[in-house]
Amino acid sequence: MRLKALLAAGALSALALAPGLAAAKTLVVGVPDNLTGLDPTNVNDTLSQTAMRTVYQGLFGFDQDMKIVPVLAESFEANDTATEFTIRLRKGVKFHDGTDFNANAVKISLERLANPDNKLSRRSLISMLDRVDVIDDSTVKIVLKTPFGALINTLAHPAIVIMSPAALEKYGKDIARNPVGTGAFKFKRWAADTFEVEKNEHYWKAGWPKVDGVTLRSVPENGSRFAMLQAGEVQYVTLFPPELVPVAEKLPNLLVVKRPSIVGWYAAMNTMKKPFTDPRVRQALNYAVDKAAYCKVVESGFCTPLQSPMPDLLGFFEPQKPYTFDVAKAKALLAEAGYPNGFETEIFALNNTNQIRAMQFLQQQLAQVGVKLTVTPLESGVAAQRIWGVQKPEDATVQMQLTGWSSSTGDADWGLRPLLWGKGFPPALFNVAYYKNDKVDADFEGALETADPAKRGAFYADAQKRIWEDAPWIFLGASQLLTAQSKNLSGVYMLPDRGFVLEGAEFK
Amino acid sequence: MLEYLVKRLLGIIPVIFAISVVVFAFVHLLPGDPARLVAGMDASLEDVAAVRKSLGLEGPLWQQYLHFACNALTGDFGISLKTRRPVITEIGERLMPTVWLTVFAMIWATIFGLLIGVLSAVKRGRWQDYGGMIVAVSGISFPSFWLGLLLIDLFSVRLGWLPTGGYGTWAHFVMPSFTLGLGVAAVMARFTRSAFVEIAREDYVRTARAKGVPEKFVIWKHTLRNALVPVITMTGLQFGFLLGGSIVVETVFSWPGLGRLLVDSVSYRDYPVIQAEILLFSIEFILINLMVDVLYAFANPEIRYK
Repeated sequence: MRLKALLAAGALSALALAPGLAAAKTLVVGVPDNLTGLDPTNVNDTLSQTAMRTVYQGLFGFDQDMKIVPVLAESFEANDTATEFTIRLRKGVKFHDGTDFNANAVKISLERLANPDNKLSRRSLISMLDRVDVIDDSTVKIVLKTPFGALINTLAHPAIVIMSPAALEKYGKDIARNPVGTGAFKFKRWAADTFEVEKNEHYWKAGWPKVDGVTLRSVPENGSRFAMLQAGEVQYVTLFPPELVPVAEKLPNLLVVKRPSIVGWYAAMNTMKKPFTDPRVRQALNYAVDKAAYCKVVESGFCTPLQSPMPDLLGFFEPQKPYTFDVAKAKALLAEAGYPNGFETEIFALNNTNQIRAMQFLQQQLAQVGVKLTVTPLESGVAAQRIWGVQKPEDATVQMQLTGWSSSTGDADWGLRPLLWGKGFPPALFNVAYYKNDKVDADFEGALETADPAKRGAFYADAQKRIWEDAPWIFLGASQLLTAQSKNLSGVYMLPDRGFVLEGAEFK
Repeated sequence: MLEYLVKRLLGIIPVIFAISVVVFAFVHLLPGDPARLVAGMDASLEDVAAVRKSLGLEGPLWQQYLHFACNALTGDFGISLKTRRPVITEIGERLMPTVWLTVFAMIWATIFGLLIGVLSAVKRGRWQDYGGMIVAVSGISFPSFWLGLLLIDLFSVRLGWLPTGGYGTWAHFVMPSFTLGLGVAAVMARFTRSAFVEIAREDYVRTARAKGVPEKFVIWKHTLRNALVPVITMTGLQFGFLLGGSIVVETVFSWPGLGRLLVDSVSYRDYPVIQAEILLFSIEFILINLMVDVLYAFANPEIRYK
């Protein structure tokens, strides 16, 4: 009897202690990693950037479908050569420290990021910036050194935020630990495994935010994140593991949300190395891989085959004629290129489960056309060394590399140019296929010299068509993003670039 | 004894120096450029160079080492490449969670391990022995990630009694320290049992029984105390290992500990954090060894140091 009473009492007190069971007013989000910093201009991981979007805002942003929306800007005009952009700013916005958001704040923030002396890691996004002119308190003119048609998209990148000039003055370099922005939440605390922000009472969108604060908790283990959601300790988890979806869908209080992404996966072939110098070989490999099976085997079905070198949510996307799975055709092309019995080659990627599985899948697929693929999983530092440790293209040891790319500006430029530009061989950029097509290069460069969407679209349509035919990659798929949440939560969603938006969080 | 202690403590200095050189060399010889990892995959060459400069990764290796060693002497271990916070802060935030988890796990594991070990030894060949050893073998064989997830499922998801993870109140300690300690308790039980069985065969134990010492004293005083020496060695080693942080338990229970920090730092090539952490672990191990040696003298007064 006594034991029973004791146990019951223990259970009750534990219940009282367990957080998040009562009507939660603070949103707790379970994420797999830790933040790496609080200065969006000086971090390179999506999680840190998206977390800081609660505190900081940019002139522009993305909606759920990766379409550009004005945030701190109201409207803009560009000149014909895409070198001058006049932007009208939102009025009546205040920073968390009480100072006014105005044209001067925009000037200081953008010029700070573009100044090489500040050594900020996201500088390359706006390295073409010459200066920002203050026209009046709520109008700025952004002047570029070279034409850059993708500027507005770039300004929507989560790294380009407007910071409080007073705070920059006050904290100097320590701004990285004391963020002061215009966002819906004010920074509260960042410690091991926890990041906390609280409601900004003077937020410029009247009536928002609806929750008292947001806490990000780093929970590396997939199973533990799911358990926390079930126990009500967190109300939203990102990167939900596909294998748990059938389990989660049976639970009455949970909701699994599937969202498209702009993360495209491909296997780059080193076009400067035999046998990949021959486009027929590269096309053959594309015919030899069943993309639908790739999605099923590697991504548990949460994926769509790529229809162009870039995922369909990016601006200026044009679908191409698919390389339908056709072993006979692949064999014929290989024979035509002088490899009737296939050849041996190697592929590398990172050593996580998913990428190893993807490489093994390719190994199995290519074996059907006689291509013997050696799979090499590498630790991330070693992989980086193998890609960027090379100064001259002829020294590259890369034969094939499996990797994914997400263009966080949502624009075709950053979706294609870093990967396929003739001037982008490592270590300059990320063209691991060492692909160079002068017409494609001209398209990339031409598209940046105008801000006219019709002209830019024409350039990118041409580039996509040529790249697709040249096939420097085996085009695989765009993965879908899975999140899970409590049913009583609304207004939180994942962006296609793996960031998420928490501002509209609301409990019913 | 005091002289011995001072000598041993002074002996730590060259050891630490040697470790610092080896660690520094190894860490910097790892393939992979931290500047590239910090700057990000899509950074330009210019950005990478700027980052390399700002991280202090320029100049010959020996210069970088001297810089590191001189700063370390003043207690400055530099700035984490990943978070750009002082290494001391990064480690400091995670040190106490790891220490407390280790202490709690060790306390219960030692007590239960000893009791089961003694019980099995005294009742050798009887059901208590088999029962105890079945528990011990299972304890060693349970993979902790699996046990951890089962516990979470039962106590957090189904019963709602305990939080799934994180660091906070006493309730947060229950499942992680149980999971972490189970393996230790099992090893402890097996060690105690075999040491105990061996000592029980000694002449002085028989003499004690023959001269009519009550069985209680024979077990706890004559036998156990002498059987403690190998057990203390084992405890010390386990303690040292656990202080390094358990990656698995920390991951399953989202514990902000040193093990995960080290793994993250290695994959990020966060040189300053790796160096400082490994130095910390080395010092911990050396101190624990020293403590173990001192404890020997208490367990067995015949052991005296000069």
